[in-house]
Amino acid sequence: MSFAQKLADGQFATLVELEPPKGVEVGAFVGHAQRIKGKVDAVVVPEMANAVMKLSSLGGCMLLAGKGLETVLQVCCRDRNRLALQADLLAAASLGITNVMAVEGEAPSYGDHHKARAVYDLDELELMQVIAKLCAGKDMAGVELEGAPSFTVGATLNTGALGTVQQELAELDKKLAAGAQYFLTPPVFDLDSLAAFTKHLGDREVKLIPNVLLLKSVGMARAIGRHLKHVHMPDSLIGRVKDAPDRVRECVLIAQELIAGIKAAGYSGVMISPLGWEDRLPQILGA
Amino acid sequence: MIVANGKPLEEIIEVVKDHRKILVAGCNECVTVCEVGGSKEVGILASALRLHFLNQGIDAQVGETTLQRQCDREYVVGAREEVEPHDIVVSIACGVGCQFMAEEYDTMPVVPGVNTSFMGGALERGIWSERCQGCGACVLATTAGICPVSRCAKRVLNGPCGGSTKGKCEISKDLDCAWQLIVDRLKSLGRLEDYETLAPIKDWTTDRAGGPRTRVKEEVAS
Repeated sequence: MSFAQKLADGQFATLVELEPPKGVEVGAFVGHAQRIKGKVDAVVVPEMANAVMKLSSLGGCMLLAGKGLETVLQVCCRDRNRLALQADLLAAASLGITNVMAVEGEAPSYGDHHKARAVYDLDELELMQVIAKLCAGKDMAGVELEGAPSFTVGATLNTGALGTVQQELAELDKKLAAGAQYFLTPPVFDLDSLAAFTKHLGDREVKLIPNVLLLKSVGMARAIGRHLKHVHMPDSLIGRVKDAPDRVRECVLIAQELIAGIKAAGYSGVMISPLGWEDRLPQILGA
Repeated sequence: MIVANGKPLEEIIEVVKDHRKILVAGCNECVTVCEVGGSKEVGILASALRLHFLNQGIDAQVGETTLQRQCDREYVVGAREEVEPHDIVVSIACGVGCQFMAEEYDTMPVVPGVNTSFMGGALERGIWSERCQGCGACVLATTAGICPVSRCAKRVLNGPCGGSTKGKCEISKDLDCAWQLIVDRLKSLGRLEDYETLAPIKDWTTDRAGGPRTRVKEEVAS
């Protein structure tokens, strides 16, 4: 069953985020994906996350599609103008990609090519409107397409924005109106904090897919708690990793518990970000 | 100077139509020189707005003021007595002036009456032309004093693109190819060898790649 069908049927979907390599040695990237084939519904391939130059999302998606994996293409406003964005979307659809996510993209100053001139011809919402228009058979200039693409469109929702909930809900409404069919969240380490946000959603039909970022150490947990202002890192969780006799095993256990908790709470799915722990994915997904 | 174009009157009316105490605020600097936002244009816009309200049978007051510089807090603060009796300000200074007004009068709507366009100069009365994009890393020393960043449609830094034809740009036959101008002037200067030197890949950090820019002159900043 495809990711889109699972979303439509209300079945729990499992996504995994896999970073493509910086270079053309794709063996590890493809290998990680092949080891989780059958255990995930789709692999999200980031488009130069944090403005660090890497093999593109479209290229990564095609490499994985060639091995029989379903993918989610990220389409990023930072590096392409409206011509290139539309051209790549048509290319993606013609190559069999059915899932896309519009992302704004971090500014080049975040990344490893800080001298770059950013594009931002369209913003995330405008891009989503363009995707909807392409799916309806026309390009931005209003010209009829020779065959329209069909995409399941995702977007981001900052569920960590507890201090500015109304603003975030206004953003959410705009994204829903622009055609977003599911939403990915920032990393979640505390399901109560996530629930505190979701109770504000009211009667909106939001298919929410929380993100589970794999913790790897006490230092990482502390750094997340200190520096990521939209991520709630409970002190008890830091303490749990710190006091564990086998910290790696404890981190794996935490990820498994979070995934189970997200599933039990009735969310539409989960997206797991291994960030270097790709080799532990089979163990985590096998639970 | 900063060059601007007046917004269509209908667009301004749409924004101010529900207000009854409107202040049209001009600026004595760039927008006066490019004849779009000085005291003369303040008077013309204010009269047009009065006529609109009169035709609608609406009793509205339209005040007029022209600041020495709207991009200078000292003058913006000094306009408080004129600004505060109104319920909206139409700034016909550039986008900088409009924002400085909005920042100072935080409960007062401040809306633009012009579209700020570019940094340039007058070729002749009534014709202004772009000369600078404020990229923050000037290359004029090696391009014979002609800026490829602001005057080439593609911002090409190493000679003309394939669209240059008979000295004109591919986007318009009325537009000079910046690189044709550069090559011609390098010849006049006897420095055509400069054209042989490959320009380094441009660092856009000083443009907008590094986000909005602030300049600090430490010896005068308090």
